[in-house]
This record gives sequence, structure tokens and C-alpha cells, in this order.
Amino acid sequence: MLEVTGLRKVFFPDTPNEKIALDNVSLALDPGDFVTIIGSNGAGKSTLLNLIAGEFRADSGGIAIDGVNVTRMPVHKVARYVGRVFQDPMAGTVPHGTIEQNLAMALARGRARGLRMGVTNAKRAIFARELANLELGLEHRMRTDAGLLSGGQRQALSLLMATMGSPRVLLLDEHTAALDPARAELVTRLTAQAVERHHLTTLMVTHNMHQALTLGNRLIMMHEGRIIYDLAGEEKKRATVEDLLHQFEQIKAVSDRTLLA
Amino acid sequence: MLGSIDLGLIYGLMALGVYLTFRVLDFPDLTVDGSFTLGAAVTASGILAGQDPLLSTAMGTLAGAIAGLVTGLLHTKGGINPLLAGILTQIALYSVNLRIMGKANLSLLREPTLMAGLQQPVRLLGTWTSVAIFAAVALVFLVALDWFLNTDLGLALQATGDNPRMIQAQGVSIHNTKILGLSLSNALVGLCGGLIAQYQGYADIGMGIGLIIAGLASVIIGQTIITSRRFVFATAAVVLGSVVYLLVIQVALLIGLDPNDMKLMSAILVVVALLSPRLAFVQRFWARRRKRMMAAVAEGEEVRA
Ligand SMILES: Nc1ncnc2c1ncn2[C@@H]1O[C@H](COP(=O)(O)OP(=O)(O)OP(=O)(O)O)[C@@H](O)[C@H]1O
Ligand SMILES: [Mg+2]
Repeated sequence: MLEVTGLRKVFFPDTPNEKIALDNVSLALDPGDFVTIIGSNGAGKSTLLNLIAGEFRADSGGIAIDGVNVTRMPVHKVARYVGRVFQDPMAGTVPHGTIEQNLAMALARGRARGLRMGVTNAKRAIFARELANLELGLEHRMRTDAGLLSGGQRQALSLLMATMGSPRVLLLDEHTAALDPARAELVTRLTAQAVERHHLTTLMVTHNMHQALTLGNRLIMMHEGRIIYDLAGEEKKRATVEDLLHQFEQIKAVSDRTLLA
Repeated sequence: MLGSIDLGLIYGLMALGVYLTFRVLDFPDLTVDGSFTLGAAVTASGILAGQDPLLSTAMGTLAGAIAGLVTGLLHTKGGINPLLAGILTQIALYSVNLRIMGKANLSLLREPTLMAGLQQPVRLLGTWTSVAIFAAVALVFLVALDWFLNTDLGLALQATGDNPRMIQAQGVSIHNTKILGLSLSNALVGLCGGLIAQYQGYADIGMGIGLIIAGLASVIIGQTIITSRRFVFATAAVVLGSVVYLLVIQVALLIGLDPNDMKLMSAILVVVALLSPRLAFVQRFWARRRKRMMAAVAEGEEVRA
């Protein structure tokens, strides 16, 4: 479903500030795979997701979604295959648009946009049903501006928008990080539900190790632009937060040693 | 006075164009000064060449759209800053307009313009009849613009100004929406130029100078009077703002202000309007409004800012 091969991304190449954000990363996801990604700050997690979404250009390597080469596609073309939720709750919605207008924009993803009304009664019925699933009561205020919603409500709405039309790949970059624990819990639960319901192939970045272990069927750990640990199936189910921390320590020790050498 | 309302309604079309770029697309487009004169030049030249006035006006509108297209291409494909892209087109249009007109001023006196029926046998311009006609024209365009903004494409255009990253992630090329918005906006401006030329009875190379300020002032005045964005209120506010602006100018002239000072007055008006959000009492007003709105939202009411 998603095939990443030998991906490399260098920021500020050939300058003193040169930064290898991704170093020969390869990753293959089967349909329905739900992969959680952890790793220290600057490990390259967001860069990986941004490259897949077309926001940055890879220096080398390739990305294919469902057999389609998307390596050099601009964001708006990749969007046909990809749903995204950003870390910033402001980023995923149009603040001056109503909830129903935002949903209409998401519903049109991957289709040609013409002169048909954005919001119709038929679409409203669909939106109301989908919003009811969030259990936030948003279906009763579809004409409220999205900008007036709380961060948690907005992130739930963004998630609904991203999963609309069952994208081939769902990319979540710390989408619960800006929320208070209760709201984060809610959005996490909604995420699991949505992925389950639409059988979405998902990449989810998180700093919450517990979340990374309980969600999904595979976990990868990144460090300094590489995938350094890959856990799947039974192995992942058995793993504990302590195991992950231990793994982190080892990596740090190794990289410190190479740094000193 | 009624003449000012006539003009306010016609200039309302230009203000709608300015609203589309400045407010909806968040693109400060300065093409306006040039595309307005371009619309007037093309329309007047067409009529003087013996073409049908309606067709000539349509050509003027199309010419405006092309001017917007050029600015859009300069910005999106050329990566040129929005302000500079608009100024470049505007300056280039000065030469183009002179070429089209052949001289600095074209008279349309006694030509078969669209307004001919309102000038002869009885002069109806500046009467309630003309006001009604121009109000109907403005109404058609403001409703059409509002309708467009609520289509799938229109929503994408609105989102381009509001949250470009998000709408790209929803599969929209913001290059295309910007180019489309600029073309539509300047088509309205070109149309306005063509109509003004026919109303006044001449096209002049300098008629568009500083027009962008009038457009901005109209948008700001209108949105101060009508704050709702529901239904067609947003676009209706812009046209109303244009009428009020023209009336204010008229009153200023009546009480003896020098016409040559009008541009300075307009600029000061816009500056005050732009600065006002920073003034303490205005901030308090908005804070109260926001609080009321949040309270209403908490109660589950449907509210739009
Ligand atoms: N647009 C950019 N321009 C320059 N450097 C960048 C850019 N984006 C990321 N980087 C650099 O690339 C490296 C990887 O960054 P990235 O954002 O992918 O890390 P991350 O794993 O998402 O970290 P975090 O957990 O802090 O979000 C960092 O060193 C960062 O400074
Ligand atoms: Mg990140």
C-alpha cells in the first residue's frame, strides 16, 4: 500500500548547517497496517510524513502509494491518496468556514471542484451522521465557524475530515500533543475507531510510548534520520514501555560513543 | 446626490473585486488601478470603432480578467511577491492603455453607449430610475459572487486565503485558485471601468489612479456597517460601503473641500480604519462581542462570526 525506498532528505546541503534529516529510510506497509512512530526530537519523523505528503522533495529514494509513484507529486496531487491531521489544531480547518463548509471541502478531496453547491441538504445529512459518531454534539451546530471550536473539538473535526472518503494512507503527526489529557484520550479513541472502521493504512507519530504500544499493529523507532527499531505483531503486543526506554538508552549510548570516538 | 448613488453602485462592482482579492484571497492586489482603466479603454475604443456597446463592455471585462491572470501568473509561477506582481502589471498597463486609446482621453459623447437610453431623449442619469437600474445590476453581481463563493470551487478559493496549507492537503492547487480569484476580481474591475467610462462619457488614462484606496475604503466601511457574513450580507455590505463612500465624498465636496484633496482624505480614512483594531476602545468592543459569541456557542447555538 505504502512503499518507501531509500528515502534521503538533507536540509541546507553543502553548508555548515547541513542536516541529514532522513538517511536511507525504507518502509513497506500492507493495506490496513497501523504503524506508530516514536523517536527523539529531530529524529526525522515529521520529515518522513512531510515527504510522503509531498510537502518536501526527497533528495533521493522513492515513495509509492498503491503502486503509484508519488515521489515528485505536489501536495495537492498527493492529497488524492492521503488524509492528514497536523499537530497544530488550527492547521487542519478553515477558521472562518463553518463546520459543514469544512467538511464539504474535505468531501471534495481528490475530486474535481466545480460550480456545484459546496453544502447541500444531502451532504448535510451525511455530515450530521458522521459528526454524531464523534459524540461531541457538533452535529447540532454545523453552522458554527470552525474557528470558534476548542482545540479538542477542532482536532476531532480534522480527524473526521482526514478520514473522509477513505484515503489510501492516513498520516497523523502528534495530532494529540496539543490537547489536555482528557481530550487527547478522546481523539486517540476516535482515531482507533476511524482506522478500524475504514481499514485505513496509517502512520502515526507520537511521543506517548504507552499510546504507541497500545495502538496499531506495528511500531517503529527513529533516531537521527534512520529507523532503528521495528516491532510488529506478537512481539509488539508483548513489549512494554520499559523495553522501549531501554532501547532508547542503548541507542543513545551508541551514538554518544561514536560521537566521542 | 442621486448621481453619487449611481456611481456608488457602479463602483460597487470594483469594490466586489477588491473584496475578492483583499478579503477572500488575502491577496493585496494592486492591479486594480490599471485594470480599471484597461476596461474603460477597451470598452471606449470598441464603441468608437462602431462595435456593439454590450460586446465592447464584455471585451473590457475580459481584458480586466487577462490583467488579473497576468498578475496571478507573475505571483504563482514567477514567485513574485503579491504587491510587486500587482504593481508590475499596473505599471505595464499604463503603456498598454495608452496604446489602446491612442491618446490620453477618449470622448464617448453622443456615442451609442449602454447608457445612451438613460441620457436621451430625457436625461435619466442621477434619478431614481437610474438608481433602480444600477441597484439591480449590482444586486445581480453581488448575489452571483456570493453564490460562487459557496460552490465547491468558491469554498476552495475562500480556504486559499484562510488556511492555504489545509486546502492544499485537501487536494486544491492554491496556484490555480489564486489565478482564478485574481482573474475574476479584475474582470469585475474591468467591467466597472467600462461602465464608468460610458456613464461619464469619456475614458481617461488617469481615471484609475488611486482607485484601490476607494475600493478598500468601500470594503472597510461596508463591513463596519454590516458585520454579518451570513447569506449575501458580506457582498451586499461591500456594495453598500461603496455607495456610502461616494456619498461621503460628495458631502465633503459640498461643504467646500478641495476635490484635489480627496485622495488624501481617502487614504487617511483607510489608515484610520486599518489602525482602529489597535485602538483600545475598539478592542474592548470586539472582546465583548467575542465573549458573547463564545457564550452562545457554549450553549450550542448556531453562530457565525
Ligand atoms: N523545513 C526545514 N528546514 C530546515 N531543517 C528542517 C526542516 N524541517 C526539519 N528540519 C530539520 O530536520 C531534522 C528532523 O526534523 P523533524 O521535524 O523531522 O523531526 P521530528 O522527528 O519530527 O522531531 P519532533 O519530535 O521534535 O517533532 C531536524 O534537525 C530539523 O531541524
Ligand atoms: Mg515532528
